[in-house]
This record gives sequence, structure tokens and C-alpha cells, in this order.
Amino acid sequence: MISFLAVVKKELGSVIRDRTIVISILIQLFIASFSSALLLGMLSLYDSDTIMKYGGAGIRIGMIGTSDHPLRPFLSERGLQVTLLPTLADAESAFYQGQINAIVDTPQDANGITEIKLYLPDSDAVSSLIRMVIQEPLKQYENFLRMQNGIEVNYTDLKGKPATSFEFVYSVLLPMLMFFPAFVAGSMTVDSLTEEVENNTLQTLLSAPLTINSMISAKIAATVILSVLQCIAWLTLLVLNGIAIEHITWILLLAVIVAGITSTSAALGAVLLKDRERSQFIYSLMLLAAVAISTLLDVSPIKTLSRLAIGDYYTSGWNVALFAAFLAGLYMILWKVSRRLVV
Amino acid sequence: MNQILVIAWREVTRLRKRFSSGASPIAVLLLLAVLGLSAFALRDMVSLGNGLYRVGVSDDVPPIQDSRFAVVVVDPSEGKALLDQHVIDVLIDGVQVTYRDDDKSLFAIKALKQYLEKQELVRIGSSYPEEEAFPLRVGINYLNASQAPGQNEATPTKPEEVIIPSLTPPPAPFTQVLLALIYILPITFISIFFTSSFMDEKANRRLTILLSAPVTPFQIILGKMLPYAIFALTTTVLIAIITKGNVPLALAIFAPTTLFIFAIYLMVPLFYRTFKDTTFIAMLVTTLTTAYLVFPAMFTNVNDLAYISPLTLAVKMYRNEPFGWREYLFPSLPMSAIFGFAMFAGTRMLNEEFLMGYKPITRKVTDAIYLMMAHSKPYLSVPVWSLLVIPAVYMTQIVFLAFATNLPFRMMLGAVLVASALVEEVVKSVGIVALAEHGVVKSTRDIIVLAFLSALGFLIGEKLLLLISISMVSQARVSGALFSAGVFLFIPLFAHFTFTAIVTLLRTKVKLPYILALAAGTVVHFFYNWYLLRGS
Repeated sequence: MISFLAVVKKELGSVIRDRTIVISILIQLFIASFSSALLLGMLSLYDSDTIMKYGGAGIRIGMIGTSDHPLRPFLSERGLQVTLLPTLADAESAFYQGQINAIVDTPQDANGITEIKLYLPDSDAVSSLIRMVIQEPLKQYENFLRMQNGIEVNYTDLKGKPATSFEFVYSVLLPMLMFFPAFVAGSMTVDSLTEEVENNTLQTLLSAPLTINSMISAKIAATVILSVLQCIAWLTLLVLNGIAIEHITWILLLAVIVAGITSTSAALGAVLLKDRERSQFIYSLMLLAAVAISTLLDVSPIKTLSRLAIGDYYTSGWNVALFAAFLAGLYMILWKVSRRLVV
Repeated sequence: MNQILVIAWREVTRLRKRFSSGASPIAVLLLLAVLGLSAFALRDMVSLGNGLYRVGVSDDVPPIQDSRFAVVVVDPSEGKALLDQHVIDVLIDGVQVTYRDDDKSLFAIKALKQYLEKQELVRIGSSYPEEEAFPLRVGINYLNASQAPGQNEATPTKPEEVIIPSLTPPPAPFTQVLLALIYILPITFISIFFTSSFMDEKANRRLTILLSAPVTPFQIILGKMLPYAIFALTTTVLIAIITKGNVPLALAIFAPTTLFIFAIYLMVPLFYRTFKDTTFIAMLVTTLTTAYLVFPAMFTNVNDLAYISPLTLAVKMYRNEPFGWREYLFPSLPMSAIFGFAMFAGTRMLNEEFLMGYKPITRKVTDAIYLMMAHSKPYLSVPVWSLLVIPAVYMTQIVFLAFATNLPFRMMLGAVLVASALVEEVVKSVGIVALAEHGVVKSTRDIIVLAFLSALGFLIGEKLLLLISISMVSQARVSGALFSAGVFLFIPLFAHFTFTAIVTLLRTKVKLPYILALAAGTVVHFFYNWYLLRGS
């Protein structure tokens, strides 16, 4: 036991001395802030609600048609400024003088299919912005025309709140911050095991009163400790930022178990392949495959984590126990094959 | 040339030996392709908000096939109680939708609305004749906003594009960005092998033997890179064929990108000290390059700055939109320049003393810069260094700008100014400081002269780049503003010289820590930029 702790201490000491773990923490911070920034950027450019909230008031639409045209209230309700103009020529001169940003032409012939014309500026940025905000009124007008044809469209009155940032925080940001340390833990296990083999220090290490299993377990324990520390730090930061997280204990336990799973499977790879190049490669492939397979089988740790965090009624410690059982199985296998590292 | 090929062949043999016992590279590649494609196929299933909402439905509601919703069949009479107990977020009973007015339920409603709208379209489309189900056509024409057409030019009567609003979503480039990202993944994987090859030879000291053979470091690097580069370009061709892209165009777009990624990964084996270092440095490199490549491409057609990433060109390729030489060169030139620079740096650093030393990482970077500078007289190497690193500075500053666009406007300006002043001060002073620490330059006079030359080199490079970038993408005025300076060249020259002199003298003569010296220079530089911006 004392020798086990000694190896754990040595591993942690070398990580702290190298200081490159700082890079890993910086990467997580970078990804977290970058993806939030990206999301906000996306929202402001591709989400019509957000566009209307921040810059939509400046969009002026020139409409050719009568004042009682049914499209007009839909456009105004969206918050667009509508100017009525008698003819296309008037509208065009207003357009070139910069009084309006786009023209909607609504011909009168309304038998069968209704055709309207939209004139947009040829600048990519402005026209895609207008296309984005005018989409909803056009759809409402289309539904209006369907009603006139006697077609009932259901569920049109649902509103709700834009859910993108809620979905992002719980299904991307939180799992990313909780599982990235686990991903790093696996890589570090590979490095630390293969380095002993490739630098021929393994035999020396094993001449100490230490079995190969306790040596490997100590290395796994060290990386898991590091990843737990990171998870605690991220959870604290998130909670300080006012993000509500339920079941924090279970979440932390799940993060520990997943870190255990990644490091144990990484150690398995290293024991069998014995060099860094192949072990790291196989490890990353296994990780990719595991994500795909667990999603397909609907036992994804990511989904479990998101559901725990939002306080889902059907998700509890039993879902976490499932992963613990998997970890135990994996560890048993490692225990059996670990001798192959020295052979 | 012959020697390069010999080294390249040796590299192929080495790789074959390594993988013959475990997995063959072809099997691995196949596995990778399967994974990539399945991930691509799964992209709809694994979406934002996977499994977040619980929806209670009555028996007569058609099944909800969207990974965001977990469906529970409930008895309508109990449904309301379950809703109130927060067991479910939404209750659908026939066409009646019930919800609470807390956030989670409202989020679920918004997500559900998007899904149900689509389902309704499918229902209407299949049960009514087409002209009744989709009674609206919108013809879109584009008008040139900057100039009115002449008298005899008629307004186009035939629309350029006809859409049905409920079926045509507004243009968003995500799918094509994902498609373009598929090109990057294998390149990154292959460059990791390139890196491990170097590390392997470094660990078993074969590199030392190779260095004592009559080949130049340049030949060694190029020879080792060649098989991997060919491999990476082959995958590019394959992906282009599978996704029905334009093969020569895809090659033209991704060749500079491949070189760029390889150049960056070349730095990993040169700088690492332990295996864990490699993992972390490689991770950093992957994150930064991916962010740099993907982030701008998201804004294709929204902002011209999107052209700093070659993925934007790929997105355009998949949309069959044309782009010209200027748009092609805008991302490709800086990438190729960085490749050239990295090759030069690599040949200077590829010596045994540098490779094998265990030193703090900052120390190693200083040594690397010293090795690059020491090949010729300081009076030449200092200005050339300042001139050559301009593309890297440019890329860094644009990344800062992309970051800062998410801050409030006043903060954004301040943050960008501070960050770009910092980057500029680092590149101008670091060479001189490295030379001084190795005792190549000593006197105050020498340092002042070098500071002047460094500022001069930097200014020439900056103006050249400003000229190129303005002529290439006229709308990217913001990038011009980053490099803004007075009309008279000698004022910015004097300013740059002053800042650099402050930093270098504080470091070498006052013996202040480099960070503090840098901070002092940055603060002065920031206020100078701030003053200029307020004046103009």
C-alpha cells in the first residue's frame, strides 16, 4: 500500500513539475469560452429572434400592394418596418435612395398558386439577414393561404422560449467540461506506461516491492485524481456563474467513473501494444467508437450527465451504477492481462 | 532530391514494420472512414440537447422521432398531474398541447414547435394536392444596391430563385462546414503519425545517426514529411470523390492547409521533453488549428473575414458558388508562408543539443529563436525575423478579433487593441532579447540600433500585408484598422521603435523579468493606438 501511494505521489509530482498540464486546462477553458462565443455568434447571425431583438428594427421593407393585404400584419408583428408603395418603380427609387432595404411585390392575381416577388440587395450578408427574418412572416402568410384552401394546420400557435443556450449548456458545455479531463487522463496513462517501457525503466521500477498490477493501478489512480480535481474546479466555476446543476454528487461520481473507464482502457491498450505511437492511436479510435456505440445503444454517459444536471425525474444513481459495473469489468480484464507488459 | 526520396522510403518501411504486427494501416484507415461516415450519418441524431426533454403523449399522437425528446405514453387524465410534478415537461393530447410556464417547459415547447411544424408539412403534403398544400411561391431577385441601373436597363422580370417559404430554410452553411471538416480530420490524424515518427527516432537516437550522415536537416524533414503528405493528399482526393466534390479544386484548397497543419505538428517533436508533453502540445495544436479553420467558415457569406479559413472556400465549392484568385490566395498565402517559416525553423533546430536538452519550456522557445537568429549577422536577422513573422501575427490578431466580436463594443475595441499590441511587442523584442541572453549583443547602442531595425522590418511587413489584404478583400476594413497607423510612415516607425526599445532595454539593461518589460511596452503601445483611433 505504501509503495502504491509512493507511485501515485511520484506521478502527480512529475505532472506538476512538467507544468504542461496547464496547457490542458487552458485548452478546456479555450474550448468552453470559444464554443460559448461561437454559439452566441451563431445566435446573433442565424437566429431570427435574436436578430430582431438586437438589430431588426433597422430593417425597412417596401411593400407594393394595398394596405389591407394579409401579409402586412404578419410583417409588422415580426417587428419589421413596412412602407406601402404604389408601384414597383417607386419602390425601386426608394431602394436606390437607401430608404428601404428590400421590396416585397404582391400581385393581385390570386387564383390557384399565389406568387409574390422579393427584391433583395445583392450583398450576401444583408440579403441572408433579411431572408432569415422574413421567413417567419412568409410562413404565416402561407398558413393563412392554406386556411383559405380549407386546410387546417395544427400546432401553429405554440411559442415557447428559444432553447439553444439551455440545450448548449447542458448537452454540450457541461459534458465537455466533465469528460475532457477523463479523455486527457487516458492519454496520460498511455504516456506514463509506455514511457517506462520505452526508456527501459520498467524493470527497475518493478524491482521495488511492487506488483505490476499495483504499479498500473497507481498510475491510473494518479490520472483519475487529476481529472477529479479539474472537474471540481469546473463545477465550482459553473455554479458561480449561476448555472443551476442538480445531483452534483452523482455527476462528480459519474465523471470519476468515466475517467476510470478511459484510463483503464488506455492502460489495456498500452499493456498489449507497449509503444506510445500505436497505443495512443488505438486509444483515440476506441474513444471515438465508444462515443458512437454508446449513443446508438442509448446508454451514453453524455445523455446521463445532462439528464442528471437538469434534474430529470427518471434518471438517478442507478444509471451511474451501470457505468460503475462496466468499469469493474474492464478493470478485471486489465488485472488478468497486465503481466504482458513485462513479457 | 535523391536523398529525400531515400529518407521517405525508409520512413514508409518503418511505418510498415511498426503496424504489421498490430493493425495494418489499411484496416485502420478503413475503420477511420467507417467511423467518420457513421458520425456524419449520425449528425442529425446526435444533436444539441440530446435527450433533454420528457414529453407525455396520449395514445393517438404519432411517434416523435427526434433525439431531443424522450416520449412517455400517459393517460390524459393523469398527464396534468405528471406535468405539475415536473415528471414530464410537455403534454400532448391529440392536437392539444399543455405546458407549464417555467423555463424548462417553455424551452421544450420551442424545440417541439420546430419539430411539429415539419411533421405537419409532411402530413399536409401527403394528404392534399400540391398547389393547395403549398399555395405560396416567392420569387427572389437581387438588386445592386450601390448603383441604380441606367434608363434603358429594365428590372428583371424573371426571378433568379423561386422558393416555397415553409420548405426552403434560409441559407445556413452548417452542413457544408461539417462536410469541409471531414477533410481536416484525416490530415490531423496523419500528421500525428508524422510527429510520432520523429519522436520515435529521437527516443532511440537514430535521429542522431541520421544527422551525422551527409544529409542536411532540410532533406531529413522533407523526406520524412513526404510520405505522410502524399497520404494526406490522397485522402483529400478520396473524400472529394466520395462526397462528389470537385477533385482538382479540393486539392488546390486543401494542399496549403495540409502543409500548414504539418508545419505546426513539426514543432511538437522538436519541443517536447517527456511523452506527456507531447500529448498536451499536440492537443493544444489540434484545438487551435481546428478552431482557426472551422470558426471563420461558419460565417461564410455573412462576413468577408470568413475567407481567412480555407474551409470557407470548400463550403463555397459544395454550394457551387464561384470564387476568384483573391479569395483563394487570402487564406492560402499566409498558410504557405507559415509552412515555409516552420521549415526554416525546423532545419535550424534539428541538432542534437537542442533536441535532447531538458529545460523549462520557455527556455526552449528562447533557444529555438536564438538558433534561428544566429545563422547570420544580427543586423540582418533581426529585421528579417520581424518581417517574416508578420503572417503569424496577422493570423493571431484575426483570431483575437473573432473572439472579441462577442464582447460589448467598447470592451471589444479595448481587448483587441491590448492583445494586438502585446503580440506585436512580443515578436519585435523576443529576437533581440534572445540574442542578448546568449551574449551576442551587449552594448546599449547595439540594442537600440537593433530595436530600430526590428521596428523597420515589422513596419515594412505590416504595410505590405495591409496593401495585400485591402486589395484582396475590400470589405474587411476591420483587419485594416488593426494595422492602422498614421499617414506618415516615420511616425509609426518612431513609435514602434520606441516601444521595442522600452521592452528590450528594460529586459537587458534594467534586468526586469521579460513579462514586466513586455507589459510596460504593451501599455505604451496601447495608449498610442488608442490615441490614433480617437484622432481618426
